[in-house]
Amino acid sequence: MPLDVVLRGIFSALFVASVIRISTPLILPALGGLISDLAGVINISLEGIMLAGAFAGVVVSAYTHNVWMGVLAGMGAGMLISLVLAYFHLYLKTDIILAGIAINILCTGGTIFLLYILTGDKGNSSTLASGAVPNVEIPFIKDIPVLGTIVSGHNVLTYSAFILTWLVAVLLYRTSFGVHLRAVGENPEAAASVGIDVRRTRLLALLISGFMASLGGLDLSMAYLTLFQREMTAGRGFIALAAVFLGGRTPAGTLIAAVVFGFADALSNQLGSLKIPPQWVQMIPYVATVIALVGYNVRRRAQVAERARRFQEKHLAEMAAAQAGTD
Amino acid sequence: MKKFLNSPFMREFGRIVVAVGAALLLGFIVTLFVSEDPVGAYRAFLLGPLTRLNRFGDWIEESLTLIFVGLAIAIVFKAEVFSLGAEGQLLLGALVSGSVALFVPLPGYLRIPLALLAAALAGFAWGLIPGYLKAYLDANEIVSTLMLNAIALKIYDYMLTYHIKPPNAGYTASATFSADGSLPTFFPPIPGLDAVREQWMSQTNITIALYLVLFAVLAVYYMMYRTPFGYELRLIGANLKFARYGGIDTKRAIVLTMAISGILAGLAGAHLSMGIHTKIIINISLGLGFEGIVVSLLARNNPLGVPFAGLAYGYLRAGADIMERSSDVSREMVLVIQAVIILLVTAERILPMMRRRVSARRAAQVEAEATPAAAE
Repeated sequence: MPLDVVLRGIFSALFVASVIRISTPLILPALGGLISDLAGVINISLEGIMLAGAFAGVVVSAYTHNVWMGVLAGMGAGMLISLVLAYFHLYLKTDIILAGIAINILCTGGTIFLLYILTGDKGNSSTLASGAVPNVEIPFIKDIPVLGTIVSGHNVLTYSAFILTWLVAVLLYRTSFGVHLRAVGENPEAAASVGIDVRRTRLLALLISGFMASLGGLDLSMAYLTLFQREMTAGRGFIALAAVFLGGRTPAGTLIAAVVFGFADALSNQLGSLKIPPQWVQMIPYVATVIALVGYNVRRRAQVAERARRFQEKHLAEMAAAQAGTD
Repeated sequence: MKKFLNSPFMREFGRIVVAVGAALLLGFIVTLFVSEDPVGAYRAFLLGPLTRLNRFGDWIEESLTLIFVGLAIAIVFKAEVFSLGAEGQLLLGALVSGSVALFVPLPGYLRIPLALLAAALAGFAWGLIPGYLKAYLDANEIVSTLMLNAIALKIYDYMLTYHIKPPNAGYTASATFSADGSLPTFFPPIPGLDAVREQWMSQTNITIALYLVLFAVLAVYYMMYRTPFGYELRLIGANLKFARYGGIDTKRAIVLTMAISGILAGLAGAHLSMGIHTKIIINISLGLGFEGIVVSLLARNNPLGVPFAGLAYGYLRAGADIMERSSDVSREMVLVIQAVIILLVTAERILPMMRRRVSARRAAQVEAEATPAAAE
């Protein structure tokens, strides 16, 4: 009987819609993590940047009574923080991981500190009348029974997450900047030798990364919830980073991986009625990420070996042919 | 004397003092803006831990955890392995040692060592996994350790909620450990000092973890600088390829480095559960694994420096707690200070840049003095 309830719960349109909603604040920072990772600068400060974005959005929207000012401020805060990260890493030669850790600590502490000054409360911003980004009802589609529930009625940031996935793919694979960015990540010396400005490319990658992460933070504080809570990202920045690797470092893969994490989270809520501890379900994506990480490397190593073998065979064949020619 | 002042040690030390000083100054400027009584708040922050015996005790207890974690980080960072797994190892250490302390029916003199051993083993195992994945399967240690942290946290929450928590308890925590499962006080029962001992025992909770930490510092130092394995570890940190060409089994060394680092993080967990809280609680560590990184950085990954860095950083944390209780400034300011310290200490270019400016100014001065002389 309970299994029945769970299954019916999972296969309902509402459940799919909730997976999409839960996945949004993972997809957006994951895209940011993807871009910086492909540029060769692993950004572990996604978590902190999300917090900064979430906080700035709530505060500015509350004081200006304008949602969009809040969104702009959130984006600005996220990009400012990633600019600090980029400055320390690229210009002052701080190690990117240590700088990222510092940024996370700064944002965790800084947001609570400022929250306390502004509201006198260290838990959340419920005393501030902050705004929420609007939901979009798609005409016609919203009236189709199942599809309407799944596709329509999400907030603006959810739709932008999917559009941005496509835009990131275009940016990475269809523009010269994307080619430069991937070249810099693959081999910075080689990229520099053909005249690509490694530092500038990485600076831009980190800025875009901060922009995406701040959108994820804004989704948390102005859509998913409509207030700021201390440490409200709850590790989502790190999950986003994991999604990059689980998704094989491609935009589509990252999107799918982020949705898998969202699915596991939504599922663990549903399983409460089955008396399966939620922790086990929540653990699955992390284990999957470790496996994917290993699988990716093993596959890559096999590819390199295969390529080397083919090259050698071709070379041998050419040698033989040349030999035959001279004879 | 001048030579000593210019030695690399003094330069490093000076750099850290400058970084900490600048961060504290920044903290004071922030306090000026937000507090009604900035001087009082900052005095509580900077002098608070020394004002009462119980506050002094809090400082030392806090520092002991930080020193354990700092040592764990120093080992891996020395080998240039960016393992961030201390958090997960610490959680499992706390869980395992706490379980032994609660459920193994042995007298204290056996139960406590067993619990410590179990914590060390749990940390070792939880370091072995990412070590193996990195060395033999090429998995990025940052991502794998972050994932293992999350997995450890889920295991911890699951075990605590479903198996360790007393069934009728309204809060998510274990029963309090008995004396046979808690670390005893550090103060030995010396005849004639009973009154002093009584005072320390009632007001502070400093345990034999103090001696354990001292031993751990020396052991890690010995391992790093006086054993072949330590040499391999440092060589790998200095130049991985060179170490490999030199015939070192770098894979084995990396696995061992991460696992041994786990032992210390596991012991930090044991100190949290059996020393500080004497029970297993939810959220036992909020980012302590990352705070250990600050400690190790301040010590420049040198095990002998870690206790000083741990005490200094523990002092800031304890001071921040007191400031929050006695003024209108919240303790999170110490996190901001901490972040600034990390950035300033690790920014390779800041000090050379300052020195270049100074020498440029000196050169300009010399030139300015020389020019009129030449004109005469």
